[in-house]
Amino acid sequence: MNLNDCLNFNDFRKLAKKKLPAPIFHYIDGGSDDERTLNRNTEAFDDCDLVPKILANVGKPDLSTTVFGRKISMPIFLSPAAMQRLYHPEGDKASARAAEKFNTFYSMSTMSNNSIEQIANLSSGPKLFQLYIHKDQSITDDLIDRCKRANFDGLCLTVDTIVAGNRERDHRTGFTTPPKLTLKSLFSFAIKPKWVFDYLTNEKFELSNVKNKTDKGTNITKSVIEYINEQYDPGMNWSDAEYVVKRWDKPFAIKGVMSVEDAKRAVDIGCTAIMISNHGGRQLDGSRSPFDQIKLISDAVGDKVDIILDGGVRRGTHVLKAIAAGAKACSFGKAFLFSLSAGGQKGVEKLLQNMHDEIQRNMILMGCKNLKDLNYSRLIFRR
Amino acid sequence: MSLKNCHNFQDFRSLAKRKLPSPIFHYIDGAADDEITYNRNTSAFNDVDLVPNVLRGVESVDLSTTIFGKKLDLPFYCSPTALQRLFHYDGERAVGKAAQKFNTMFGVSALATVSVEEISSLIDTPKMFQFYFHKDRGLNDSCLERAKAAKFDVMALTVDTITGGNRERDLRTGFTSPPKLTLASLFSFATKPMWGINYLTKGKFELPHLQDYVEEGTSTNTSIGNYFSTMLDQTMNWNDAEKLCSQWGGHFALKGIMSVEDAKRAVDIGCTGIMVSNHGGRQLDGSRSPFDQLAEIVDAVGDKLDVICEGGFQRGTHMLKALSLGAKACAGGRLYLYALAAAGQAGVERALGQYKSELERDMKLMGCTKISDLSRKNLRFR
Ligand SMILES: Cc1cc2nc3c(=O)[nH]c(=O)nc-3n(C[C@H](O)[C@H](O)[C@H](O)COP(=O)(O)O)c2cc1C
Ligand SMILES: Cc1cc2nc3c(=O)[nH]c(=O)nc-3n(C[C@H](O)[C@H](O)[C@H](O)COP(=O)(O)O)c2cc1C
Repeated sequence: MNLNDCLNFNDFRKLAKKKLPAPIFHYIDGGSDDERTLNRNTEAFDDCDLVPKILANVGKPDLSTTVFGRKISMPIFLSPAAMQRLYHPEGDKASARAAEKFNTFYSMSTMSNNSIEQIANLSSGPKLFQLYIHKDQSITDDLIDRCKRANFDGLCLTVDTIVAGNRERDHRTGFTTPPKLTLKSLFSFAIKPKWVFDYLTNEKFELSNVKNKTDKGTNITKSVIEYINEQYDPGMNWSDAEYVVKRWDKPFAIKGVMSVEDAKRAVDIGCTAIMISNHGGRQLDGSRSPFDQIKLISDAVGDKVDIILDGGVRRGTHVLKAIAAGAKACSFGKAFLFSLSAGGQKGVEKLLQNMHDEIQRNMILMGCKNLKDLNYSRLIFRR
Repeated sequence: MSLKNCHNFQDFRSLAKRKLPSPIFHYIDGAADDEITYNRNTSAFNDVDLVPNVLRGVESVDLSTTIFGKKLDLPFYCSPTALQRLFHYDGERAVGKAAQKFNTMFGVSALATVSVEEISSLIDTPKMFQFYFHKDRGLNDSCLERAKAAKFDVMALTVDTITGGNRERDLRTGFTSPPKLTLASLFSFATKPMWGINYLTKGKFELPHLQDYVEEGTSTNTSIGNYFSTMLDQTMNWNDAEKLCSQWGGHFALKGIMSVEDAKRAVDIGCTGIMVSNHGGRQLDGSRSPFDQLAEIVDAVGDKLDVICEGGFQRGTHMLKALSLGAKACAGGRLYLYALAAAGQAGVERALGQYKSELERDMKLMGCTKISDLSRKNLRFR
C-alpha cells in the first residue's frame, strides 16, 4: 500500500497505522472514555440525506469561502494539532506548505514543534494560530504578539481542554512526549525502525513556541496530559477571552463552543467566528457532536459570526451537509494527521486534492453553483 | 492483567472474570431472562448528549451532595448487594472501608456476609441498611432493631424482589450460596484455586442477619431465587411499608420504585427518599431503565424527597447525565462489585477513585463547579 492507493480516510488511516509506532498512532486515533462522542461525530452525518436539484446547469462550481477575513479556495482546512513532528519529520512545515498550495488554512497549535516565525517565513498562505491560555500570562501575551508580528490571519482560543481528557488508549500504550522508551512501548517502536530513524536524525523535538518559557515537554519527559494539567489555566473565563480578543484585534474564534448560550456570548465579546467542536471526541465523552448541534447554533448566531464545524469530517459530502446546516467552512484533524503520517507534505496534498475533488463532484451532483446554494432545505433528516 | 491496568469498568470486569469461579462471576454479571433491561440500563445514557458551557473558571470542583440529611463527598454511593464475601474474602469490610475513604454512603444488604454491628464498628461514614420483608416477623424486627442499635442512618426497603427473578445464567451454572460443589461447578472452582483457598481459610461464610432464624443460606445450600420465593412475604403492601417506616423512625426509602404513581405514594407514607431502580435488570426483564424513567419521577416528587437513580452506571458522564436530569445522587452495584472481586478494598478504592476523577474532569469540561450547576439545559436528547 502506498500514497497513490489512498482514496479515502480509511486508506490514509491504514497507511498511517503501518508507519507509526503504536502509541503514536493511538494518540491520534483515540478518543476519551468509551469513544462514544468520537464515533458519533462522524455518524451524525448519516442521520440526514442530501437532496439534489437536477438540470441546474452548474458548470464548474465555485468552492471558495471567506473565513478569518481571508478568501480560501475550498471550504475545508487543517485543524490545529499538537506536535506534528511525531507523525512526520517535516511536521508542521509539511502541513503548512500543503495548505498553502491549496490556498486553505493551516493552523498552528500552541504545542507545535515549529515556531510561529519559522512557519511565517515559509508560507504566505492563510494561517491560523491556536492559543491556549497559560497560567503564566506572559506566555499568552508573548504568543499573541508574535503572531501579530508574523502576520497570522486569525487566532483561535481553545476552551475545551480546561483539563486533559481521559484517553484510555494512551494509558494503555504509555504514550508520552517526547516518546519514552519503556519496556512496554519498546516493542512497538522497534518494529517501526524507519520512524525511529527519522525521529532521531532530524531536528530536535521541542515545543518551539513555549520552549523559552517552560521546560515542560522539552527537557524532561512529560506527557501531554501533564502539560495540559500543569500549564493551562483551569480558571480561564470570559473576561480572559475578551482580553485576548482585544489584544489580538484581528479575526478571532473560540474553538470548542457547543451551547447556544456560549455562542451568543462569543458574539458579545467580539468574536468574528466560532468553531463548533468537542476536540474530535478527545475530551468530554458523551458530549454532543458538532453536526447534531450546528443548526441550533447557526439559527441563533449564524448571521453575526462565521461558523466553522470542526470534528468528524471524513468526506466531501460531510462538508456539504455542514455547509447546508449553516457552516461557512469545516476543519479536520485526524484526517490530515493520518495523511501527514502516511506521506508528509505529499500525503496532505493528496488528501486535500481528494477532498477538493469530492466536494466539487458532489456540488455538481447536488446542482449547486456555489456554497450559497447549499441551505437547510437541501437536507432531509431521517428522524 | 493486574489492578494497575484497570482503567475503567470493563477492565475491572475482565479482571473479576479471571479471578472468580464462573458461577460466582455470572451471578454478579447476569440478569433476568434475555438481559434486555440490564443492557438498556447502560445504553439509555447514550440517547442523550451533554452540551458543555465554556470559559466558566472551573479551578476547583465540589462533588458533594446531601441525601437523607447527610452530606456525601461524592454524588454516588455503593448500593447494597448480597453475599460480598463470595466475591472477595474481605467482602463488606473491604467495600465499607473504601466507601469511608471517599466519604460516601455504604449500603449493607440484608443478605450481607458481615454483620451490621461489625460494619458500624469499622466505619463511621453514612450507612444504609437494606431490608427484605420476611414472612417471619421476628426476623424482621430483629433486623430492624439491630440496624437501629448499630446506628445506621437510612433504612431502604427493597420492593422489586417480591419473587426471585429468572436469572438463567444461575440456572445454567448451578449457582447456590454457599457454593455447592456439583460436578457442573467443580471444574470452574478447580480452575480458580486462589479463590477456593481464600474462601475456605478466611473465616466461615455466613449470613449474620438471618442465621438465628433460618438455615437457608447457611448450613444448607440454597439458591438466592429460592430464598426470595420461600422466605419473603409476597403479601407485602403499602400498609406494611408505612408501618415499617414509622417503626424505623428515621430516614426511610423504597428501593425499586419505577412509576410516578408509586413515587407519589412513597411521599404519602413518609419516605424521605426513593431509589429509581430495577435491581440492575435482575428481576423483571423488559422493565424500563431508571435513566429513561428518571425525569418523570423527578418532576413529580423531586421537591418532596430525595430521588436516587440506581443502576447501569459505568462512567462519570453517565452520572453527570442523571444528575443533570435531577437525581440527587447515583447508586450502583456492579460499579464496585467487579473491582471488589478483582482486588478487594484496593480494587474498590481504585474504582471509586476513578469515577471520582472522571466526574471532576467531566464537571470541568462541562463548565460546572458544583452539582447544583448541572441542569437539563446541559442535555439534548437525540
Ligand atoms: C493528535 C491530535 C492533536 C490535537 N492537538 C490539538 C491542539 O494542540 N490544539 C487544539 O486546539 N486542538 C487539537 N486537536 C483537536 C483538533 O484541532 C480538532 O478539533 C479535531 O481533531 C477535530 O476532529 P477530527 O479529528 O474528527 O477532524 C488535536 C487533535 C488530534 C487528533
Ligand atoms: C450481585 C448483586 C447482588 C445484589 N444484591 C442485592 C441485595 O441483596 N439487596 C438489594 O436490595 N439489591 C441487591 N442488588 C441490586 C443492587 O442494589 C442495585 O440495585 C443494582 O446492582 C444496580 O444496578 P448496577 O449493578 O447496574 O449498578 C444486587 C445486585 C447485584 C449485582
